[in-house]
Amino acid sequence: MPDPILKPEELQPAAELARKTLEQLDRILLGRQEVHRLVLIGILSRGHILLEGLPGLGKTALVKTIGQILKLDFKRIQFTPDLMPGDVLGTHILQETSSGKRELLFQPGPVFTNILLADEINRASPKTQSAMLETMQENCVTLLGTTRPLPQPFFVLASQNPIELEGTYPLPEAQLDRFLFRVMFDSVDAGVLDEIISGRRRGELPAPTWQMERGELETLFQTMGRIYLPRPVSRYIARLVSATHPGGTEATGPVNKYVSYGASPRAAIAIAEGARANALVAGRPSVGFEDVKVVAQPVLNHRLILNYQARFDRMTTSKLVTELLGQLDETGLNLPKDVELATA
Amino acid sequence: MKSSHPAALQAFARKLEYLLALRAVVQTATVWFFVWGVFVLAMRIARVQHTEWLATGLLGFAPIAMLVVLRGRRRLPGFAKVRANYDRLNACGGVIMAEEAADMSAWQAQLPEAAVPKFHWHSARPLLLLGLSALFAATAQLLPERLTQLRSNHSLEIGQLVGQLQVEVKTLAQEKIVDEKKADELQRQLSQIQKDSSGYDPNKTWEALDHVKQANADAAKQAAEEAVAKTESLAQAETLAKAMQEAAEAGMTEATAAQAAQDLAAMLNAAKLEEGILNGKIPPELLAGLNGLNKEQMDKLMKALEFNKNSLGLTVSNLASLKMIDAATLAKCQNAGQCHNPGALADYLSTCTNGCNAVALAEGMRLGRGGPGGGGPPAPMLWDNDTSEKDQKFQEHALPPPAHLSDAQLVGVSKAAPELSANDIAAGHGALDNAAASGGSAHAQVILPEHRQTVQTFFKRDGK
Repeated sequence: MPDPILKPEELQPAAELARKTLEQLDRILLGRQEVHRLVLIGILSRGHILLEGLPGLGKTALVKTIGQILKLDFKRIQFTPDLMPGDVLGTHILQETSSGKRELLFQPGPVFTNILLADEINRASPKTQSAMLETMQENCVTLLGTTRPLPQPFFVLASQNPIELEGTYPLPEAQLDRFLFRVMFDSVDAGVLDEIISGRRRGELPAPTWQMERGELETLFQTMGRIYLPRPVSRYIARLVSATHPGGTEATGPVNKYVSYGASPRAAIAIAEGARANALVAGRPSVGFEDVKVVAQPVLNHRLILNYQARFDRMTTSKLVTELLGQLDETGLNLPKDVELATA
Repeated sequence: MKSSHPAALQAFARKLEYLLALRAVVQTATVWFFVWGVFVLAMRIARVQHTEWLATGLLGFAPIAMLVVLRGRRRLPGFAKVRANYDRLNACGGVIMAEEAADMSAWQAQLPEAAVPKFHWHSARPLLLLGLSALFAATAQLLPERLTQLRSNHSLEIGQLVGQLQVEVKTLAQEKIVDEKKADELQRQLSQIQKDSSGYDPNKTWEALDHVKQANADAAKQAAEEAVAKTESLAQAETLAKAMQEAAEAGMTEATAAQAAQDLAAMLNAAKLEEGILNGKIPPELLAGLNGLNKEQMDKLMKALEFNKNSLGLTVSNLASLKMIDAATLAKCQNAGQCHNPGALADYLSTCTNGCNAVALAEGMRLGRGGPGGGGPPAPMLWDNDTSEKDQKFQEHALPPPAHLSDAQLVGVSKAAPELSANDIAAGHGALDNAAASGGSAHAQVILPEHRQTVQTFFKRDGK
């Protein structure tokens, strides 16, 4: 039997925690409100987030701040071309025990943490990148036949440079699909820069004035699980993901033209979870269509594989998803074309 | 009004249902009017008579529209979808949708104010099509018949002419100018011509009508001529009868009376009054006893003659009123039998003792009464022989041909020069000097002294 729908008094503490977290993020990192919201939604959804942007835009700072606010164990791996999987996951080393015996002891890698910052993840080789697959999906590490669970919660917040830069390896689709969101970092405007320069000596971040306790984070996760997903919304999510597949019944013309492979079922799950988290952050007990639209873009924009025609026509996944969201009728009411609905 | 979300949702669902029903009705009416218009047009083109009842068919869209509405209600989107739309349009964040699973009344206070979402139906095009369709149906119903028969055989507007010809035929039959059988045949022909008349081939119709009209005119003309002849004969007979009546009182001999009666009977028999267009006839007993008719019988005969003459006049008048005979023929008929002088004929009969020819007199004598001064005795006015033009006209005579020089005779030759008088010298100029004005004779040319040598040289011949 599903949990009953949250009452206002039940939802209100969790919403307040989310509000405070966002408040701290917005105070520490200036001009990134939307990114902060998406990152928080991703964390509440227990998903991994890929932060993409040019160097120096505050990706690492954001992850560090998140770790501080949530009071979670935080580690960082700087991905380089010579980074090996053992450098990430850990390795067995031969050590002499107190009894004088020599045995292989497992030395955990930096992946054994709550928040892992995989900095410039696309600079590592595909071999090393693939070492993250199990950890991201199964939240565990298997070495020499031994599977070791990762501490919970476990989040990978990876940053990557645009693939056009020198010395980058594109992430394989399997790993990309394991990221809940791909959040794009754009340059901030001049006002924000002026505020940073004038208010932050050497760009040092202020310390958070409030931190979330571990129990509070658990409360947030539990509340997340009780956010109600109405059937019309879940149908909309399913139709939306299905429409990303070329040749689908509701696929639009651009999708048929530019998309080679559509989003996976994992994308539908990610959208549903992300929409739930957005509803929680908004203080609502149920998911609405607007929640889906908020998270659809970061969920889908790294999951659609475009064809060469899209490259020729400079078509991006962001444009495709935006077009798809504009074309698809949320409720499937299928009104005649000459009848339009409008808000009162 | 935050508590009115359920009511607003119900109103939204009703509004959606009504709008879709109205839209379906408009579409149905549009299609129905168009289809019915085509049907009506087809019926009218197919020359189905009495198409007025087809107008009631326009009301047939009502039950069809009801069926469409009922069918549309079954196809209405489910209430869950309507509720989802309401939730989306009112930015309720899924709370209204969550009512499908639980009581969300606790969250009503945090929802935006309830409002029924608005529909915008782009109705201009459907309504325009409906108007055009209705206009088409109305046009198909009210279109003049001549326009619905565009591809059919147009009849000519010959009703008036055919009617006139039918009246003519009827009149000809009534006056016994044509017999009943022929008249019926003509009437049938006219009806057939009117029925078969075609605007695409009018020559045939006009030729047929002209033929009938010409036939009527010929019959009328023939009847008019017959009427003139009979009127003339009747007038002559009437004149003779009246003359006989007056002559009998003046002492006409019995032989003359018998001869006149015989002549009168012959005249009436020759007129063949009972044949042709004359309706009446002379009583046979009067004709049989012409020689012994008393005064009353004579009066009766004359009345019969007058009646028959009037009947002929009436017939001719009827023909003239229908313009079947021209004015000249009418005048000829009206003047027929005029200017007869029974008094003179009576005088003739009373004085005639032997060999009287009353018929000739009655036929040829339109006796004049003399000139203004009384003139001589009444003389016959005959036109059979031309008047002699002797001594009344210039007589042309051919002149004899003039005498030629070749026919002249040599009388003598004078060697001396002619003697000239002073007048001759004065007139002597040019080459024709001394030429006589008549007789064609010519004198030798006078050679002047200065020319003489030249002339001699001309006539001088070598070796002679």
